[in-house]
Amino acid sequence: MFDGTVLEPPEPKPEFVLTDTKGQPFDFATETEGKLTLLYFGYTFCPDICPVQLAQLAAVMDRLPDVERNTVVVFVTVDPERDTPEVIRAFLDNFNSTFVGLTGTVDQVEAAQRAAGVPVAVKIGDGAGYSMGHASQVIAYAPDGLAYTEYPYGTRQTQWVHDLPLIMDKS
Amino acid sequence: MKLWCSALNKPWSWHWIAYPGVWLTVLLPTIAYLIAVRRHRETDRKLIWTFLAAMFVFWASSDWPVGTLGAGYLASIHMLQYVLYTLTVAPLMLLGTPEWMARGMLAKLHLTRVNEWLSKRLLVSGVIFNVVLVLTHSPIGVDTLRSSQLGSFAMDMSWLASGIILWMPILNPIEERRTHSFAAKMVYLFVSAGIVPIVPASFLTFASYPLYSTYELAPRVGSLTALQDQQLAGITMKLGMVPIIWGTLAVMFFRWAAQERVR
Repeated sequence: MFDGTVLEPPEPKPEFVLTDTKGQPFDFATETEGKLTLLYFGYTFCPDICPVQLAQLAAVMDRLPDVERNTVVVFVTVDPERDTPEVIRAFLDNFNSTFVGLTGTVDQVEAAQRAAGVPVAVKIGDGAGYSMGHASQVIAYAPDGLAYTEYPYGTRQTQWVHDLPLIMDKS
Repeated sequence: MKLWCSALNKPWSWHWIAYPGVWLTVLLPTIAYLIAVRRHRETDRKLIWTFLAAMFVFWASSDWPVGTLGAGYLASIHMLQYVLYTLTVAPLMLLGTPEWMARGMLAKLHLTRVNEWLSKRLLVSGVIFNVVLVLTHSPIGVDTLRSSQLGSFAMDMSWLASGIILWMPILNPIEERRTHSFAAKMVYLFVSAGIVPIVPASFLTFASYPLYSTYELAPRVGSLTALQDQQLAGITMKLGMVPIIWGTLAVMFFRWAAQERVR
């Protein structure tokens, strides 16, 4: 039925509160209630996977305006030291200005990753040019609050376009 | 060390990458050519410069940065390479090859009969050119071949070979094997390289989604989206061929007209 990786049993939407790019608290479960929610953990200095995943999502949202109207794409940084709200906003605006960017303390973003059931990101290297090893999948929560699928790096636009309307119907 | 450009699966960088395989593939035939023309006391400078121009374009379209971008980042550059290989390098190589050299090479490679046979069969040449075009621009072809150096090399060489096959009936260095009818040559070139390629080019231009995972999932270069890049590739295929094919057709037409006037 789905082109994405099926989660069996479906995962419930995690609960965490982080700070959005306007500096306001963002209660993930409450703010996204009843909406198709695409959750992605990454960082703005990511050289390869994050820009590609977000570009794919932006392209798919352009293709599916009906889906986009009831969808929230949430990008949670795993690198809060460098990713200030302003940096995140500027980064996300390269793709789609409606994408939500969240940050917090190191402990808060680690807790969010654990709550979402993804491996906690690890710092690789020293100095200013360090990178982050992080989960690369996008978790798709249906409007009913359950994640039936997730989408690893390498998911094609055609696969997204196939699955998102089906997920939208899970309400 | 990398020998030939292939998809790198890492962010694009303007840091130079050495591809010794490209240098060897360009230098060995060039050196062999120069030694041969010197030994044979070839005096036609235009011929020699034409061959050197072919090898220069061959090198520029195979080496970093064009080769690297085309192999793993931008479908539009991949298409530019195709146009350069088939419509610039191949005809210039044929125009720059002296007849004595062509005869000697074909004999050594046991390709004399193949050359004779193919040069007189325009339909077969046109079909081969377009079959290579379709296969090497199919999503499975591109994604499979561009992922490895050997595959990418095979793709580039198949483009060059198909270009030589396309132009051979018109520009065969061996005069008597050329097609002499202007009408036949013009129809052949118009259909083979002017009309048929519009079909795959249209697929690229008008597709709703990126067709090649190689370019869809590559880290972006500049502000082009994967789909815009693919549309540009389609336009490059369509319009890139126009000046060369139509230019050649125009030259043929005026030569034909001049010939008729003399009669």
